[in-house]
This record gives sequence, structure tokens and C-alpha cells, in this order.
Amino acid sequence: MLPTSLDEAVEALGASPAAVPVAGGTDLMEAVNAGRLRPGALVGLGRITELRGWRYEDGGTAVLGAGLTLARMDRPDFAALIPALADAARTAGPPQTRNVGTLGGNIATAAATGDTLPVLAALEAVATLARAPRAGDSGTREVPVSHLLTGVDPMRPGELLSWVRVPLLHAPQVFLKATGRSGPSRAVASVALVLDPARRAVRCAVGAVAPVPLRPLEAEAWVAGCVDWDARGEEGAQAIDPAAAAAFGEYVAAACVPDAYGADASSALLAEGPTAAAVRLRRTVAVLARRALGRALK
Amino acid sequence: MTAPTDSTATADSTGTGTAPTAEPAERPFGLGSSPLRTDALPKALGIYPYAADLWAEGLLWGAVLRSPHPHARIVSIDTSAALTVPGVHAVLTAADLPAPTVPSDRPVLAAEVVRHQGEPVAAVAADHPDTARLAAAAIVVEYQLLDALTDPEQAFHGPALHPDGNLLRHLPLRTGDPEAVGEVVVEGLYQVGRQDPAPIGAEAGLAVPRPDGGVELHLSSTDPHGDRERTAACLGLETDRVRLVVTGVPGATADREDRSFQATLALLALRTGRPVKMTLTREESFQGHAARHPALLRYRHHADAQGKLVKVEAQILLDGGAYADVSAEVLAAATAFSVGPYVCPNVFVDAWAVRTNNPPAGRMRGEGTLQSCFATESQLDLLAARLGLDPLEIRRRNVLATGDALPTGQAITCPAPVAALLDAVAEVPLPALPLDAPDTEWLLPGGPGGAGDPAAVRRGIGYAVGMAHMLGAEGTDEVSTATVRVSGDHATVICAAVDAGQGFATLARQIVQSVLGVTEVYVAPVDSDQSIAGPSARGRHTWVSGGAVEKAALMVRHQLLAPIAADFGMSVELLSIAEGKITSYDGVLGMPVTEALEGKELWATAQCRPHPTEPLDEAGQGDAFVSIAFCAMRAVVDVDIELGAVRVVDVTVAQDVGRALNPGQIEDRIEAGVAQGVGLALLEDLRSTGGLLANPSFTGYRLPTALDTPEVRIATLLEERDVVATFGAKAVSAAPAVVAPAAVAAAVRAATNLPIGRLPILPEDAVVVLPV
Ligand SMILES: Cc1cc2nc3c(=O)[nH]c(=O)nc-3n(C[C@H](O)[C@H](O)[C@H](O)COP(=O)(O)OP(=O)(O)OC[C@H]3O[C@@H](n4cnc5c(N)ncnc54)[C@H](O)[C@@H]3O)c2cc1C
Repeated sequence: MLPTSLDEAVEALGASPAAVPVAGGTDLMEAVNAGRLRPGALVGLGRITELRGWRYEDGGTAVLGAGLTLARMDRPDFAALIPALADAARTAGPPQTRNVGTLGGNIATAAATGDTLPVLAALEAVATLARAPRAGDSGTREVPVSHLLTGVDPMRPGELLSWVRVPLLHAPQVFLKATGRSGPSRAVASVALVLDPARRAVRCAVGAVAPVPLRPLEAEAWVAGCVDWDARGEEGAQAIDPAAAAAFGEYVAAACVPDAYGADASSALLAEGPTAAAVRLRRTVAVLARRALGRALK
Repeated sequence: MTAPTDSTATADSTGTGTAPTAEPAERPFGLGSSPLRTDALPKALGIYPYAADLWAEGLLWGAVLRSPHPHARIVSIDTSAALTVPGVHAVLTAADLPAPTVPSDRPVLAAEVVRHQGEPVAAVAADHPDTARLAAAAIVVEYQLLDALTDPEQAFHGPALHPDGNLLRHLPLRTGDPEAVGEVVVEGLYQVGRQDPAPIGAEAGLAVPRPDGGVELHLSSTDPHGDRERTAACLGLETDRVRLVVTGVPGATADREDRSFQATLALLALRTGRPVKMTLTREESFQGHAARHPALLRYRHHADAQGKLVKVEAQILLDGGAYADVSAEVLAAATAFSVGPYVCPNVFVDAWAVRTNNPPAGRMRGEGTLQSCFATESQLDLLAARLGLDPLEIRRRNVLATGDALPTGQAITCPAPVAALLDAVAEVPLPALPLDAPDTEWLLPGGPGGAGDPAAVRRGIGYAVGMAHMLGAEGTDEVSTATVRVSGDHATVICAAVDAGQGFATLARQIVQSVLGVTEVYVAPVDSDQSIAGPSARGRHTWVSGGAVEKAALMVRHQLLAPIAADFGMSVELLSIAEGKITSYDGVLGMPVTEALEGKELWATAQCRPHPTEPLDEAGQGDAFVSIAFCAMRAVVDVDIELGAVRVVDVTVAQDVGRALNPGQIEDRIEAGVAQGVGLALLEDLRSTGGLLANPSFTGYRLPTALDTPEVRIATLLEERDVVATFGAKAVSAAPAVVAPAAVAAAVRAATNLPIGRLPILPEDAVVVLPV
């Protein structure tokens, strides 16, 4: 089925419970080809043009279509709006898959290494879910992306992710990803960091170290107090003490990587102090968080 | 240098040593020119038919049921559910196999015990690929789990995994005075991971039953006669009942389909009386395809105060996986070249290849030699550091030359220009530091859009030299046969040497063009009806099959020239063929070759058999190798010392090629070897935990992409002819793959001051933890 509007698509999904939506197919078809998934029917989302772009709302919010491709998000006009999301999209796989892979697919797949996810978590993005309307129910609801990911409020059968609301912060934001190689690759760890100067806040999320992006809230609050918000962006001024930036990195790493990281359940009980894997991963996360903060405040 | 008119001149050959192309670059064909391979364009365009694209009317699809366990006893196999699946035509287990005529330690289908994850247990033929896979999954196998032996060091004392025992070969090498001691002693422990050949096309083939009860196999085999013989033996058939047609070879740096694949495919066709096609998934290919031997190497080098080697002691352990295959041969190379291209009077090595429940290991570019090259080159760097010598200097003080002996006692009779190669790479200017370029233009470790920070990047420069032998060793009968036929203005080469990417088909054309002056040369497809040419491995076809083609072409040339010479009352030796023309020494005769050939049908068949070798004795002594090619490299890396990300910036190569028969292809082969070597050095490792593969997919098994591979510059293709080799040429593919990992490791060591004792070098191995 190849609906051309969102309404047709939710209709089609509602009518056949066995149907599965497919956007770029870069995650779905891999599962089908590997025999892990045998969908009864497919609803292709590629022709729904309204979902392939974005619009503005109330001046301060961008409403992104779920059908935005990763490649589209990497273009300069988008990068000027939401730089961290553009950074994430740019590194999310090779050009061939980014040309067709979508924002909606990245969210719905909810992979630990989904690169847009920590950015959406740091931006506190909200998803719109659409469903075929029933009597007394428009079928649409809004859920924070982090609630979708953690399963606090998961996507329900027949629902389609239509829009993602992201605040426009008009301030530097950074996404950094460690992969251990130069070619395209999945993240070993990633850090998204956004500045919200209006609220004098720093928001940060760490990707790939846990099934969902993690927010080190205490570290965020602490570092916001260390930033010289007025010096930010001034020629020659230093918006943060390098020692504080380094401490922030360590703080984020300690908050997001547990001591028992990489240990199996039995040895975790016996283990004293962090495992070697935890030490390594913390080092990586700390470097990423420090560098991300440094770049955002440069 | 003159402006390069040759489009293949990718390298800035900053011109040390002999220039690779003395002849003008626009020469259209023949030896020394660089024609493009005929399959290059179809492969690049995606229209080349691979074996997975084969089709036959009424074909059935094969599928294999594989062991999920690394080690288990098969209690029972119940195929009844699979047989009832509609569309299933045959189900095979070990019980259906004929008695093999030649014993092998690897069963076609496991009978009593499975010894590695993915070992074939049963096979199905059905009318649809999905049906075949579903039916295979419906076979119920009851296993009794056995402890998996996956640590090769435990193989010596662990329970025997096979009636033949766990020791596949022990090779001691002893020469000189065991009591000798040096003024400085350095020790190191080195580890090499499991590199998979990861061929573009996974295993695939088509079997067609023949009316005479035999079977015809269409496969991308790289050893058609060997594969035919092994398959026939497994099927209990006379060899001539199996015909093998080579098709769709994707380019292979290792052996292709294993005997189990071929025999099951053939047997399914024989059982059903229908053509059967089988293509493996990437996961199956990772499980079953022989990978490079993981190795553990312990070395102790003794040197005098000047850095001259006094004694080398080593223990080398190769993990052969579940079955013997070619481990004995790989071990011989690891042992014989365990000192590298250096002179050392006292050498004491013990090397073992052992059986484990890990995935099978086999042949792969530079097998055996690569592992010891990494260890010896690392040791030389250690010595250099200890003595305060430059890494180049310590090598120069020890390099071997023609006339020196290997630790096996064999004197090196071929050219061994090791010192000249080192000088050549050292003379090429280093790549510029991007200090003044804006950060955005500096491709940092971690890649574009990565997390790299210029402040944390350190550059390192490393050198390595290494060697790779050509042709089968230790008494292998090396022989190849070729036929050259000329009809009118075109020629055909018939030779069963498979072009597995090494460029043999192109070379065969060039040889005939050079010898006969004919431009249009066609290389016939390979099948097992042709005479034996042997496997495409160990850098042998340029020598043996190229030699056979040359001889056959020369015989045809004689047939062509003899009557002309007689007409002019001169001997054939006074005529020459060049630029498509037959000319006499006095210039009286000048006849186009095409004119002389008009209406003629000439052909000749010839054989080439290089001088024999002998097995290594119980002290590792003997003339076991035919010839050796050498290679030197300088690698330049950038390391992000906080994240441990490494980017290889540049690799400069000097290689001993004997004679550059096709400089363009040689450069391509060097680039390929460097890419594969960089992959092993930084990325590629098929990890097994408790015998279970952790990353049998291209998401988990990381191959280098264009962004991970460095700029490759050729310092020189050093042409010093090997007088006994065909055209004086040496094999070119293996040596760069052998040396590149060692060179990259040396460069990372230089950038980080860390020991770097294992390959691949993981980010955690390259992180410099600075004191707070
Ligand atoms: C080689 C390769 C490399 C990759 N590397 C990366 C990487 O580095 N980082 C990364 O983050 N990802 C990577 N990916 C994964 C993938 O490309 C992304 O997750 C991509 O964003 C998926 O989008 P899609 O449109 O292709 O999703 P699809 O495959 O079409 O769909 C994925 C899932 O989402 C569901 N879905 C899709 N759209 C909707 C919707 N609007 N509403 C509800 N459900 C929906 C589908 O039903 C399916 O379950 C890689 C993939 C490949 C093949």
C-alpha cells in the first residue's frame, strides 16, 4: 500500500492490523532479509509528501515531519535551525542509507545506537502519534520522545509517528560520536549537548551506552552554574574554566556508565569498583562531553 | 619525470631506483603496459554475473542446517518433519553420504560430533529458497553439549577434539648456538586476531546432474582441479565423473567454497536428479569460510651493542580451528620466516598449529608470514628503542641480501634488495602536517563529522619490512599447463588458472601480445576438462601459468616464423616480432603479423614446472621455498590519544617485483594489500567467545571503507629480475598485506609510546592516559 496522505496511511494501518509501516526501509528491510521479521503487509510512507518537510509553530518550535530523510537534515538550511540534529544525521550511516533513512524510522526503531535519539532527548522533543479517528477521538496524541523510547508511554498498534516538535533555541549545540574508525559506523558512545541561553541551561544526553539515551540531570544543572553566560561568544572571553569542563565530562560519564558496565549478572555482584569496560567507556564519554561543551561554548 | 600519460600512474613515483615503465607509457599492449582487466568495468557497474546469479531450468534450492554449538555430540537427527514440508525434494544427513575414497579430517556433514559453530549437519533441497531454509530449520537435532575448547593454549592438554588429536603440526627450528647471548635482550608477546577474507560474493554455486551418473558443478572455484578431486572423493565417485566449471569469481584473497559446500550441493543434485542452487548468507559465510589463523607469538631477541642480531628465540602458536585444512603449510611459512628479512646466526623456534572449537582457519594472503612479520618488526622497534637507534638504522644493520641464509639453512638465491627498499621508502618526503590548514579540512581520526579534536592528535611514523614466499613449499608439486591457439588475426589462451583478482587473465593476454604481436587475445573460461594449472594461491600463477603460456606462445611463434625464415634462407633467431610486425635483423623483411597469420591455424601446449623443493626436517632445516618477494613500508598515522581513534594518513611502499609486467595492476594489488593490512591492523576481527561468533555480519565485522584506507604511494617497484622466474617477475599480492599491519602498528607505537602488542589495535589500546 502506498498512501499519499497521512489520513490514508492511518486508515490503512487501522484497517489491517498485520500491516507494518515502512519509510526508508533501511532498518525494516534488513530485518526482513535476515528472516527476523515477516510482515503480513507493508504500508509505504514514501509518498506522503507532507511528512517529508518541516514547518514552524508559535515562532519558537519546529515541527519536523517523520519522513524527513537523514540526508535532508544534514543540509545547511536545516543545520542552521537545529545544528545537533544535523550533526547526528550526518554521521548516521553511509550516504546510501542516509538518502532514504528517515527521522521517524530512527525513532521507531529505537536502537541504542540511533544517532538522532540523544539529540531529541537533549532537546526534549515531543512526538505526535496519529491513528485512524474513532467516534469522539481525533486519534492524535502527543508524547515526549523520551517516553516513547523508555516505554513509559510506548507507540500503540495502528499508530503512526507523524511529527516531532523541537524547540528552536538559537544557540550552539553539538553532537559528538565516538566510533573508533574513520568510515561510517555505529556509535560506541555519543553525546548531544545543547545550550538554552534563555533559561541559562545546558542540556545533555548520552547515547549508545544504554538501551535509551541518558540525561545526566545533576551534571547539567551543575555545569550551567559554571558557565559565564555573559562572556559566551565574546571575543577572547572564556565562558568556562577548562577544569570545570573536564569535571563536567567526568560527572556525565560517572552518571551514565554504571560500575558494573559490561559485567554479567553473576560477576557484577562480586565486582568491586568499576569494571575495565566501565573505565574505558567512562573515559570515552568524559572526553566526548568535555569536547562537546568546549565546542558549544567556543 | 615526464608528464604521466598513463592514466594508472596514481602514485607520485618520486622516482628512486628503477622507473617501473622504461617503455613509453602509450604502448598499447604487451608486457610492461597496463591494460585494464576485462572484468573491471562490469564489476564496477554491478553487471558482472556472480555465481549467485546462476540459473537453470527447473532448479531446486539447497539449504544447510548448521550446528548452533561450538562443540557437541549429536545424539539423534530427526528429519521427518522436514520431509513433510511441501516442496521439499531431499533431506541429507551424514547417514546419506557415500564412503569417501580419500579420508579427510573434515566431514561433509557432521556425523557424531560437531566441532565448530556453523558446522553443516544436514542439507535440504526444495523448490523455493525459503522452503529449503524452513525445512532445514524443521530438522530436529538432539545435541549433548560438550565443553568448547577455544583457547589454543589449552589445546595441548585438553581432551582430544578429534580422533586425529589436537596437534595439527609441531615445527621446531633450531640453528646455531643455543647458548649464545646478546648484550641487549628484548621480549614481547604478540597477538593477531581472526581476519576473515570477507569476499564480495558469499559462497554460491549450481550443481547439475549428468546422464552418466556424474555431476557438473558451476562454482567460483579458485582451484578447479583440486576442488573436483576433493568433491569426487567425498562423493565416492571417480574423479572424471565430476566436472567443474568456474564462473563468477568475485575476487578472492583466500580459498573459496569449502569441500562440504561443494559435496552437499553435488549430492543434492544427484539425489534429486535436478539442478540445485545454493547461496550462503553472509552469516553462514562468516561461520564456515576459512579465516586467517589467529596467532600468539612470544619472542626474545638478543642483539649486540651495535644492534646486530645475535639470537632469536620464539614460540608461535596458530589456532587452526576445528579442522586441519592447510594449517601445516601455514605453520611452515610462519616458522621459516620467523626472523623476518634479517640475518641472525642463532635461531630457536617452536611453532605449533592446534585444533580448537573456533571457526576454521585457512589460507589468506600472506598466511603465516603476516603473523610473524608483526612480531619480528615489533621486536626490532623494541631493540631500536632500547639501543637508542633509529628504527631504519637497526633494520639496515641486520637486513639480509642475496646469498644470505634463512634460518632454515636455505640460501637465498633470488634478488633480495631489502636495504634498497628501505632506502626507497625513507627517501620519499613525508606527507605534510595539516597544521596550517583549517580544522575542517583536516580529516581527523574518527572521520568527517566525528569527535576528533586537533589538540589531542599525535602523528606517528612507523617502518616495516617483510617477505612472502611464492609457490607451494616443502615439496609441493608445482605445475601448470597452457595452450595457445592462433586463428588468423586473433589468439586464444586455454589455461585452468583462475583469475581471482590477481590479474592472470590480463597477464595471459599481455604475454601472447608480446610474444606473437597479435592484439586480439581471448582467454577461455576455465573448467576442469582443461589441464591442471593448480590453485590461485601463494602467488604462483604469474610464474607457473604465465610460464606455461609463454612457452606455448613461443612454440606457436616458432611455427609461424620457421617457414618465413626458410623462405628468406635465414634462421628463426634472426627474425623478431615487435609493434605487430615481423622484421628481420637486416631490415629486409618487414611484414605485419596479421599478414603472416592470414588463414593460419597454429597451436601449441606447454607446461611449466619450477624447480622442486623439499620438506623441512625435524630441526626446521631444508630448501623448502622456491622464491621470496620483499616489501618495505612506511606508515604515517594520526592518533586521537584521548579516544584512541587512529587514522592511517599515508602508506609509502617499495616493493621487489622482479619485473613489472603490468605496473598498473601491481599498484592496484599493492593498494589492495595495504587496505587489507590496514583492516587487520585497526578493524577486522571475527571474534569468538566460547566458540560462538560475536560479529558474523558486516555491521559487526568492520571492513575498511574508503575513509579508513590511506593514501598509498609507491616509492619504487624495484625491478631486479629473478633469473629463474618466468619473465624474472615476482608475485606481488601477498607481500604488501604481510607488511602493512606491522607498519601501521609501528606508527601507532611511535605516536603513543604504547607497546601495541595485538592486532587489531583497538581504540582502548591507543589511548594515552596522561597523569592528572
Ligand atoms: C548500513 C547501515 C548503517 C546504518 N548506520 C546507522 C547509524 O550510524 N546510526 C543510526 O542511527 N542508524 C543507522 N542505520 C539505521 C537506519 O538507517 C536508521 O535507523 C534510519 O533512520 C531508519 O529509517 P528508515 O526510514 O529507513 O526506517 P524503516 O526501516 O523504514 O523503518 C524502521 C522501523 O520504523 C517503523 N517506522 C518507520 N517510519 C515510521 C513512522 N512514521 N511511524 C511509525 N513507525 C515507523 C517501521 O515500521 C520499522 O519498524 C544504519 C542502517 C544501515 C542499513
